[in-house]
Amino acid sequence: MTPRRGVVLATVLLAAGTVLTGCAAVGDTVPGCGDPLRLAIIAQSVPGASYVPCLHDLPPGWSTSGFDPSQDGTGFLLNSDRSPGRPVTVRLTVACNTGNASPSPSRGPGVLTYTRLYSIAPRFAGTLYDVFSGGCVRYEFDFADGSQVALMEQFEQAVGLYPRQQLRLVLKRELGVELSP
Amino acid sequence: MLEVDALASPWTVRLMAWGTIAVLVAFHRFRHLAAYLVIVPGATLLLSAVTQEIGRMRPVGVTVLGPWQGYAQPSRPVATLTLALTGVLYTLVPAGRWRNRGRWVAAVVIGVFCAARLYLAVDHPTDQVTALILGWPLAVVGFWLAVPHDVFPVSYRGGRQAHLDIGGRRGEAIVTALDHQLGLAVTGVEPFGLEASAGSTPLRIHVREPDGAKSALFGKLYALSHLRSDRWYKLARTVIYGRLEDEKPFSTVRRLAEYEDHLLRLMRDAGLPTPYPHGFAEITPEREYLVVMEFFDGGQEMRRAHVDDRVIDDALRVVRRMWDAGVAHRDLKPSNILVRDGKVLLIDVAFAAVRPTPWRQAVDLANMMLTLALASTPEHVYERALTVFAADDVAEAFAACRSITIPSQLRSLMRADGRHLTGRFRQLAPARRPVPIQLWDIRRAAATAALVAALAAAVILSGIYLKVAGLL
Repeated sequence: MTPRRGVVLATVLLAAGTVLTGCAAVGDTVPGCGDPLRLAIIAQSVPGASYVPCLHDLPPGWSTSGFDPSQDGTGFLLNSDRSPGRPVTVRLTVACNTGNASPSPSRGPGVLTYTRLYSIAPRFAGTLYDVFSGGCVRYEFDFADGSQVALMEQFEQAVGLYPRQQLRLVLKRELGVELSP
Repeated sequence: MLEVDALASPWTVRLMAWGTIAVLVAFHRFRHLAAYLVIVPGATLLLSAVTQEIGRMRPVGVTVLGPWQGYAQPSRPVATLTLALTGVLYTLVPAGRWRNRGRWVAAVVIGVFCAARLYLAVDHPTDQVTALILGWPLAVVGFWLAVPHDVFPVSYRGGRQAHLDIGGRRGEAIVTALDHQLGLAVTGVEPFGLEASAGSTPLRIHVREPDGAKSALFGKLYALSHLRSDRWYKLARTVIYGRLEDEKPFSTVRRLAEYEDHLLRLMRDAGLPTPYPHGFAEITPEREYLVVMEFFDGGQEMRRAHVDDRVIDDALRVVRRMWDAGVAHRDLKPSNILVRDGKVLLIDVAFAAVRPTPWRQAVDLANMMLTLALASTPEHVYERALTVFAADDVAEAFAACRSITIPSQLRSLMRADGRHLTGRFRQLAPARRPVPIQLWDIRRAAATAALVAALAAAVILSGIYLKVAGLL
């Protein structure tokens, strides 16, 4: 085997290995609540937010896509096979307009939860807000009438809120870096 | 720095990618296009997969000054810009001086871009190193494998893409192979008649005879690219002609060379005026073979030669002899019919068939008569044809003749000539109903359906692929 062929073969094997291992992970796009090191990118997207959204174990039939953190916030989609083509849109931003929204039971300490419904039948559609210091998570849903109770419960359980303070401590301990602010 | 960072926005990269694709299409560089469409979006998908594994936060402890999106590791903007530049360099820029200069320009562009992103604190240095590995060496190796420069050079000097570069190591290998395998003392090899050949690389081989005299031989260099071209060509003919043709593709380059060498020997044994075969040499096992034959020194293409009754009669007798010997040339056109000292010579027997269908033999006669009529008149050629063939044979030839049965070179010369030669021959010959060529059988229907389905699938998958890869 010539040196050039050796280099080519090694590169192909490396690429194939990377693709094979990488492909296995494709689809697990949104960081889990048990993976704080990867949650840091969400925290950086809204630097003042006291919570960041994360993913608990997804119930059967649910998947995520479109994970998109940027300097303007973080968004992703929650797809259910019982609501095809109408995913729940989750978005972390600095602030939300909760005018006309009704208070709902809080989802965590220091978190104010609101719900605004646009429609109840034939579709159950609206927005859920988790408002906290320095940020807000908005969930836009649109479910068929009849399945909404289970689906609402499932997606609310699927998306958790990870405290920034705890994240800061983990990053300091694990990586020795200071998450600002 | 923000402006520098903005220069490599997704839209800039998309513009470069689509510009590359447009240039490749415009120059009919479809192999490079296919390689580009696999390698660049493929590497982008690989980048996404790698990001899922090693993605991390943006730099901490510093103020991030620039806009950012997604994980920091690997740096997606650096990787996509590098990929786009690599794609341009390895599909559009000729290898050598121009590509070397292009590499330096690309390196400077990427360097400035990386420096800007470091200044803006949107990337760590290691994010950029990983991105550069994904965008440069991996893609370059992909292009080496898919479109090696030796076989598929990027060139804007015209000529067909099928022709191989015979300089460098390949040139040395040819000389050595001809010496060791065929005992030829080669003094020089040069491309010859490239414009008339698409299925191989034609060569004139200068040799020194044992007595010191100089002579020339003709060679046809076959490679894997020609084998693939042959497969597509035959698939197209199967779809167009149907079951009148035996269009089994060759399985290896060796078989392709063996077949042509065999046909040369068979035609020589049948007394046909084809080049004397000198065998074939193996240049690279199972990849490249060179078929060597007599060089018709002094032979002129039919369209440039003086065509008198002697030439017309000889040409028609050659067709008669092919009929009698049970062979068909299948590619009779002016560039494959030479005239030397008033005698007709046939070249390029690669497409010839043994025991062809009567339809194909009739088409051979029609194409020969049309070629002769270009240098004469249909009336005169018809009159001379009746001394060799029955009037019914001529009638059958033109009943079998269609636009698609006429080689493209002959067809374009007929168009330029302006006379309606086929119609005139039909008027001269006894009336006969056209021979239907659009016959369908299971093989042809399956091939057509598979081709249409493959094209539709390719279009749909390309759309999905480009969308996922971020090019749409």
